[in-house]
Amino acid sequence: MHPIIIGAGHNGLTAAFYLAKAGLQPLVLEQSETIGGGAITSELCPGFRCPTLTHHVSLRSDITADMQLARRGVEFLEPPVEAFAPAIDSPPVVIYRDQGRTMEALRAVHAKDAQAYATYRASLDDVCRVLTSLLAAPAPSVGEPDMRDIWNLLKAGRQFRALGARKAHALLRWAPMPVADLASEWFESDVLRAIVAAPGLSGTMFGPRSAGSALVLLLSEATRMLSHGCGRVRGGPGALTQAMADAARTAGADIRTGARVERLVVKDGRITGVLAGGREIAAAAVVSAIDPKTTFLKLVDPTDLSPDFLSKMRGYRANGTLAKVNLALSGLPSFTGPAFTGPAKAGHYVHESMEILAGRIHLGPDLDYLERAFDHAKYGEISSEPWLDVTIPSVLDSTLSPSGGHVMSIYAHYAPYRLRDAGWPAMKDALLKCVMSTLERFAPGVGKLVLAAEVVTPLDLEERFGYHGGHIFHGEIALDQLASMRPLLGYSRYQSPIPGLFMCSAGTHPAGFMSGGNGKMAAQQIVEFLAR
Amino acid sequence: MYDVIVIGAGHNGLTAAAYLARAGRKVLVLERRHVLGGAAVTEEVFKGFRFSVCSYVVSLLRPDIIRELDLPRHGLEILPLDGTFTPMPDGNYLWRVNDHGRTRREIARHSQVDAEAYDEYGRGMVEMGRFVKPILSMLPPDPTSLHPRDLRKLLFLLQRFRGLSREDQYNLVQLMTMSAVDFLDRWFETDVLKATMSASGIIGTFLGVRSPGTAYVLLHHYMGEIDGAFRSWGLPRGGTGMISNSIAAAAREAGADIQSEKAVAGIIVRDNTARGVVLQNGNEVHARVVASSVDPRLTFLQFVDRTILPDSFLDDIDRYKFRGSSGKVNLALDALPDFTCVPGPGPHLRGAISISPSVDYMERAYDAAKYGRFSRRPYVDIVIPSLTDPSVAPPGKHVMSCFVQYAPYHLKEGSWDQKREEFGDTVVDTLAQYAPNLRNIVLHRQIVTPLDLEREWGLSEGNIFQGELTLEQLFFLRPAPGWAQYRTPIKNLYMCGSATHPGGGIMGAPGRNAARRILGDT
Repeated sequence: MHPIIIGAGHNGLTAAFYLAKAGLQPLVLEQSETIGGGAITSELCPGFRCPTLTHHVSLRSDITADMQLARRGVEFLEPPVEAFAPAIDSPPVVIYRDQGRTMEALRAVHAKDAQAYATYRASLDDVCRVLTSLLAAPAPSVGEPDMRDIWNLLKAGRQFRALGARKAHALLRWAPMPVADLASEWFESDVLRAIVAAPGLSGTMFGPRSAGSALVLLLSEATRMLSHGCGRVRGGPGALTQAMADAARTAGADIRTGARVERLVVKDGRITGVLAGGREIAAAAVVSAIDPKTTFLKLVDPTDLSPDFLSKMRGYRANGTLAKVNLALSGLPSFTGPAFTGPAKAGHYVHESMEILAGRIHLGPDLDYLERAFDHAKYGEISSEPWLDVTIPSVLDSTLSPSGGHVMSIYAHYAPYRLRDAGWPAMKDALLKCVMSTLERFAPGVGKLVLAAEVVTPLDLEERFGYHGGHIFHGEIALDQLASMRPLLGYSRYQSPIPGLFMCSAGTHPAGFMSGGNGKMAAQQIVEFLAR
Repeated sequence: MYDVIVIGAGHNGLTAAAYLARAGRKVLVLERRHVLGGAAVTEEVFKGFRFSVCSYVVSLLRPDIIRELDLPRHGLEILPLDGTFTPMPDGNYLWRVNDHGRTRREIARHSQVDAEAYDEYGRGMVEMGRFVKPILSMLPPDPTSLHPRDLRKLLFLLQRFRGLSREDQYNLVQLMTMSAVDFLDRWFETDVLKATMSASGIIGTFLGVRSPGTAYVLLHHYMGEIDGAFRSWGLPRGGTGMISNSIAAAAREAGADIQSEKAVAGIIVRDNTARGVVLQNGNEVHARVVASSVDPRLTFLQFVDRTILPDSFLDDIDRYKFRGSSGKVNLALDALPDFTCVPGPGPHLRGAISISPSVDYMERAYDAAKYGRFSRRPYVDIVIPSLTDPSVAPPGKHVMSCFVQYAPYHLKEGSWDQKREEFGDTVVDTLAQYAPNLRNIVLHRQIVTPLDLEREWGLSEGNIFQGELTLEQLFFLRPAPGWAQYRTPIKNLYMCGSATHPGGGIMGAPGRNAARRILGDT
């Protein structure tokens, strides 16, 4: 009997690979016809291929190496520009991969902030380095820490101490803060504050003034460190997951698509297999790479779980706030805004080279703008002026679109799963309209370039991709749902109340951001379980 | 030559002074205003009407302080304040009282499920309270320190946490990190119940009921029970000033010298050691130790030459967040307000009256503040102390204390002095929606804006807790990392106000903890 993995997303594939390497020949069951879960590239219209959901990956570099992904044709792309934020009536901010260039560009806009940015980056890197060791190890067990927990904690503790009191305090002080306060402590420029704060909000039910958003920022930075900044893949994220599947298969995994698991089979309190396509498949262990709420509230018979566990699982917060809009464009849009060098060259800023559009394009010019966008989500509305986190992957990767054409991949915030008035199918057009009118403000004329558009709402995320509540991280990333608390206290080691049933999705430690760490660490636990 | 000079005669300064004097130290307390008490003060603002001008109820005054300083003998009498009444715009209401059975029946009127959850919730909160209680009187350990005393304390906390049941661990982590509404959502479905309960989480902060980090204040309501005293809130006879007066009496009895109308202009520092203070009239008073009960901005940026402080400490003090978010409107009334939902006088007026009809109402009140405006429809927490304690108003008349949030210190347009009357009108209009007769019975009104709190009471940016009570400014981070144990970078200069652990409210714990620290050091 082989272990079964439910879901062929990046975590499922990672778990499959490591289980296969251990000689366990896992079987992966994927409900959709495509492998990749949330990391897929699909065709918008003939010739235009776009990341359907995520356009950014942060696969841990040890996993990349173990899977020999480079040999399997994965090419990581490094945009020269990390982020570009046009503002309405002030010069844009550009963060380059090269810090010297960033400083130079910032200096032209805001000399004081340029200096502060260098210090900020250095502090952030130091602080996040300590977090990486916590993210790379299973969350410590609170009840009965074992020797390995203690060793890992001591290791992290030593790194923490090595930070020195000043930075150690900074880490403890930052984590529960709102990103707005953190960014405002460092910087004066509105748009720089906004661009720095944004990664702490992406995909969450946080506005910039929400306490705890700074922790999300730290975690996403730390995850990025573990991947050595390999965030883009030629061919889109789908090319990455295809190669991962290839690696898993080569190692001995069997991956079946179009195989929907209907139920988990539990006998005498132990998992014995799954029911898929009306047929029971026996398994020594089952690993759920789909979100915890779907796993326990939909696939398991409630009588097999305690009422207490069920009620806590129902309380696990997993309502999404993010929609995805994908556009096929007949040309590259022009973003407006005064030029870098100030009012002397005021007028339209036309990108002289395409490089400035190669990274993340942040449309949300100040913290209040982001906060107002968030306000709508609190009352179950979509933002009338959404904050858009845009990428034009075709700038770096010509394989995605015909010559001259481009694809634009947009995270639109905020689009809450639960809408107060109308339901999602009805609001889909309204959302696209808000996104397009916002886009038009920053890049006039972009509307005329649109050849095809695709909108993925939180409801689509739930119905098409199986994310309960449409949450891209399989559960809110908040202080009470992280580390030893993810998804629930006592179940943070990939195990579940049912012996033999494991979890490895982003709903486990170390949460989302596409690191694959969940799958790898879960596989280690399962190998130990099966060896017992 | 004094042993200790305490700057500021608020309840914390007085508490520190009392403990120091009782230990035999020669103590001088200097107060800028003409009355003692700081923000815990009773003043006859209009003839015959005595207002608890700022702080208006007491809940967390540490029982050991009441006992050790023998405050009842010095005139402290706390009268119970029964229940919380929340009128609703649709003519319904929620009225919780101390009588558990009645509250359950009242909640059941809104939701049977919630009535059952209410018991379970209360039990859980009492457990959490037991966990938190010893932390209040602790000198906060620094997690970055390897000092055996810090390590011992951290280990103690860890052991205690591990000693909790799984259920309580789960609750505690959520309580410390979640928003009040998210936390209450786990138990209750009645919107008005959640709105009213969550209100305690936002008082004095620049956060909304849905902001993470607001849940833990829910505990405060259960601390009273754990202290073995009556539950939650109470009114001191004669107003909150009586708390300060009784502590002052205890301090004087122990030999402390307390002088009002003695404004401190600076702290004398030589060789990085505090030597005394300079008064605004130019006189110098010397002492071996100076303990400042005023907030860190005044202490370090006004009373001390900032160039003598280490840069990193200055950075921390510069970014320590105040952001006052509340104001007070104190009304002298000709008669009692008449609520549409429960007409006429009655026991519902004897407790707190909370204008918090729904969670969205609370959240929208907060939205205004985020963008630099005071709430058009604010959250208002009202008490009518004259019903419980007739001594504070002329016969037949009443005083009504309205705590109003949000009133951000930083306004986007205009100044607080220009907006004062408009703010007062907003509050009266808001209340008149529920009690229409209010407009006609107001004899006088006193409006206390955040700017007034700063100018008159020395609370920077009008923050009633001397700095926000948010996670990054609590425990070992309050007021600055590495300086949470009442000491400062200047030798013999100590902090003993609400800007130190465990923070604001009429608790007295900072003053008592600081006195302990000073006695241990000197």
